[in-house]
Amino acid sequence: MINRKVTLAAAAAGVVTGAAGLSLLAMPAGAGQPPSLPAVSAETLVEQVLTAKPAAFGGTVEVDNKLGLPAISEIPQLADGKHSARIWTDGNGKLRLALPNGQSEQTIVDDGKTTWSWNSQDNEVTKSEHKADPRPDKEQAQEQKAVDPATAAKEIVTQTKEFSDITVDGTARVANRAAYELVLTPKASEKTLVREVRIAVDSELKMPLRVAVLTNGAAEPAGTVGFSSINVGPQDPKLFEFTPPANAKVTTPEAKEAEAREKLPEAGLEAALQGEDPQLFGTGWDTVIGGRIPAEAMTQVPAEAQGLVDRFTKKVSGSWGSGKLFTTKVATILIADDGRVVAGAVPEQVLFDTIGQVK
Amino acid sequence: MITRQFGSEVRWMLRRPRTIIGLFGLVLVPIIISFGIWTAGEGSDGPPGLGAILQGNGMVVPIFTLFLSLNLLLPLVASIWAADGLAGEAQHGTLRGLLVAPVSRVRLLFVKLFGLTAMSLFAVTLMAVVGIIAGTAFLGTNGMMTLSGTTLTTGEGLLRIALFIILVTFQMVSIGAVALAVSATTEHPLVVQAATMTTIIVFQVLGQFSSLDWLHPFLITTGFPGLIDVMRDPIPTGQIWDSTLLAGCYLLIGTGLAAMRLITKDS
Repeated sequence: MINRKVTLAAAAAGVVTGAAGLSLLAMPAGAGQPPSLPAVSAETLVEQVLTAKPAAFGGTVEVDNKLGLPAISEIPQLADGKHSARIWTDGNGKLRLALPNGQSEQTIVDDGKTTWSWNSQDNEVTKSEHKADPRPDKEQAQEQKAVDPATAAKEIVTQTKEFSDITVDGTARVANRAAYELVLTPKASEKTLVREVRIAVDSELKMPLRVAVLTNGAAEPAGTVGFSSINVGPQDPKLFEFTPPANAKVTTPEAKEAEAREKLPEAGLEAALQGEDPQLFGTGWDTVIGGRIPAEAMTQVPAEAQGLVDRFTKKVSGSWGSGKLFTTKVATILIADDGRVVAGAVPEQVLFDTIGQVK
Repeated sequence: MITRQFGSEVRWMLRRPRTIIGLFGLVLVPIIISFGIWTAGEGSDGPPGLGAILQGNGMVVPIFTLFLSLNLLLPLVASIWAADGLAGEAQHGTLRGLLVAPVSRVRLLFVKLFGLTAMSLFAVTLMAVVGIIAGTAFLGTNGMMTLSGTTLTTGEGLLRIALFIILVTFQMVSIGAVALAVSATTEHPLVVQAATMTTIIVFQVLGQFSSLDWLHPFLITTGFPGLIDVMRDPIPTGQIWDSTLLAGCYLLIGTGLAAMRLITKDS
């Protein structure tokens, strides 16, 4: 009889353990105690970040995006929600990025000479040699910027030093590494949507581990890019090599771009914008970028693109004319009906005031 | 003693005609998939995700097959075996004999659990082997191309398939363990199957609603899609561990509840 009771208790313990395990798994991982680190001045830290030698590392980057951007099929990682990417670098320009998207995956490998971009969905490899064609490199760089917090934060720090207060606000633990929290606050005179930018800087490598953008009137960050795990040290050199699979289609970026232009209305719009030199108004956080879409491009917009534009914008008008306003949490874009375009990390009123200056 | 019981349990399961018919149905799945992809031909837009890399890549067929089957087919099979194990025996009146026999009831449960595990592993492996053969025959093979665009050697590919077999079997056994707990409470095998399948389907429906995302970490079905990481290179282990731990919790709960019910059952 006692034996039966013991077995019963053991079985019940099993059930309880299982249930406890479930709740434990469901709990988000805690941030842990903030580490105690020697004090450092904000300026020194910024300088160290800017001069830090790129380290070799491999890790997983989580992007938590609440910007309110529409989903674009080509860059699903930009759509609202949580996305992750895996990144490896040898610290000398060689790089591998794995961007999972549902069940498929996009892999980008830069072996120092050639950039390979593979998409499992269409079994296609885009190959671009480095010197022969600088444009895709730039695109590549932009793509890396979007994901790699290291590059992203450096960019922000350089641009905003003179228009922001920079402070070190305690420490944090990111991906199990001790980090300083560097906070950039736009000066009061700046008319911007951004309240502050928090950058967690690794205490040893002086490499940004996490960037969070907080906007006015919201307690939660509008966007966070940060490592969820990282291992610092030399990476397997095999990661930085890429051989196109036997039956994959290999194309060049030029061919790919021509194809994309036909397919995607946004690409046409982008090309139209690039034709003009963009004009800059104001300085610092409330810089507004302006341009003009050629009249022919405005009329050529296909119906489906028009539908897309209408879905995500609202109609506005004022003394400057009338147009469409596209709002996200950190940026606003105003497209006037006559083709003038202004955009910036500013409230809509600043755009209304600026659009008159667009030539 | 216990190994003899294990052996006789598996022999007893294998001897039933419905097991044979069920296994035959299961091996049809990879054959149909390979045939379907083959007839769709080169250059056509394949199914999304993993399906897109099947063309000319037959070694992925077993993984694709198991990944698809994990959503409904394999839980169904696990529930049938769990239903036969206790409820089926109760229906035939043979469970009474087992419960009064001088064999510990916990041991009886472990024999049933072993039968479930062995048969699940057998069924999954059978599907994978037929998948390799059918995939290679219909689609050809040149190592194994991963979702990351790298090409693995045949040996590495087989290791990935073996890993996936183990992961999928573990998910199946966990579902089966919960089904065994239901099976211990009823004399009607159909009730067990209906309850298990309803749960799996309801879980998948609940998983679709983003407003219920607080609930998702508790659903065993949430862990299924993450297992696809086996086909990425290098393998990200995070999601695979999470899915397996999640299934492990279900296994503990299922086994515990089944044991509690069996111990307190009047013979």
